[in-house]
Amino acid sequence: MKDVQFRIRTPDQTREAEITADRGSTGRELIALAAAKWQMPTDTEYRLQNTSRHAYIQPEQKLSEDVVGPQDVLQVEPVLVAGGSA
Amino acid sequence: MLNDRYSRHGLINWFSQDRVQNARFVVAGAGAIGNEVIKNLALLGTGHIAIHDFDRIERHNLTRSVLFREDDVGQHKAEVAARRACELDPAVRATAVPGDFWKTLSFEALGRADCVIGCVDNFEARIRLNRLCRLAGTNLIDVAIDTRRASVEVFPFATVADCACYECTLPAGVYTRIAERYSCAGLRRRGLVERLIPTTILTSSAAGALAVSSAMRVLHAPQEMQSAHRILTDTMGATTTMAPLARSEMCPGCADLMPEVRVVPTDPVIGRASLREASCGQDVCLRLSDAVISGGNCTACGHELNAGGPPRLLLARDQDDSLARCPKCGGDMTFVAGDQFTAGELEERFLGQRLPARFAVVDHDETSLVLDFAACQFPAARSSEG
Repeated sequence: MKDVQFRIRTPDQTREAEITADRGSTGRELIALAAAKWQMPTDTEYRLQNTSRHAYIQPEQKLSEDVVGPQDVLQVEPVLVAGGSA
Repeated sequence: MLNDRYSRHGLINWFSQDRVQNARFVVAGAGAIGNEVIKNLALLGTGHIAIHDFDRIERHNLTRSVLFREDDVGQHKAEVAARRACELDPAVRATAVPGDFWKTLSFEALGRADCVIGCVDNFEARIRLNRLCRLAGTNLIDVAIDTRRASVEVFPFATVADCACYECTLPAGVYTRIAERYSCAGLRRRGLVERLIPTTILTSSAAGALAVSSAMRVLHAPQEMQSAHRILTDTMGATTTMAPLARSEMCPGCADLMPEVRVVPTDPVIGRASLREASCGQDVCLRLSDAVISGGNCTACGHELNAGGPPRLLLARDQDDSLARCPKCGGDMTFVAGDQFTAGELEERFLGQRLPARFAVVDHDETSLVLDFAACQFPAARSSEG
């Protein structure tokens, strides 16, 4: 299966990397890759947004499902939960 | 007619003071975000704000809560926030509803509200509020923060027929975290230390401003709301992204709902005509809003739950894991718990008992009927303003 090249970053854009991934990779695998590479908090859940297309990639979706194109920018976003009472 | 107070609002071409003064908002949670949302709604001159919160003010809340003062410590957050909102603008009708919104926020009140703003502080409460709003067809804005980011998710349930809901894009790991708070039978684990997420007024004020801006958009330009969407702002990095949220066919919150949803106030006593008629037949499956325990026994001595009495239905989340210890021999109890029953099954075993759930959903033709038990179960839900 052909690879696809894109960028992946955190929302504050302090971490960004160029990735070449197999099109069989899933959203979940990309999140796990970024979380491990950048040592992101493990007690947080994340979503993956393709900011170039303004669309979220579901964890089970494969890159082959036309969810990412060459040079797209993906963003690993934390799912926030606090309301400020704690 | 505009008075002096709102004269500057009158100069804004997209802003209708009449529309805002006639609006009804429900705010769930009066913590840091809730304070900011209520303050903004009050200063805009919102007609009616119903404030739901079960909690009381603690001293550490004061660094993030513009509506609270030192002297308020120990008082109900909802009551103090409502009082201060009325002080900010005496024309605003702010109502305090102290208590768990699951028990105090009725479908009737939701039906009257233009929008619900969710400012709660855990996934479970966010999921529950989402389900109530999705079933009622009431717009929901879910607001959350962490140490430097603010997230605002807008769900225009009132205007977008196939709108994604909060759960459509929720990662599976969230449900794993929620499950850690309960045993297999759904009993609440005692002594579980909740993770604290420290926040500051910087993120809560940004979140409150974004949330109420979205609420004004929902109010003034509902036609612009084509889909659910998420706004994520990093207050320290000064970056903001916005993206639509897509509906999921696998969503545990909305995938099994029929195109039409109708709420039917129902007496939850099993066997009574109200529940029997609303259930649409003995073999139709009732999907309960809450897991219930329908039986159990000790693995060591065989002692049965409710031994000596009629079988009882217990709301699982109201029980803690002390129930898992056999009162007779101290052995381990095992339970039968579930959230789906047929009407016939319930009548056969639990005739005359009250179904201890907030609501049940049954499908009939192309309609999901929401059998609303709240008015009978929780009188506060009937009397609460929305």
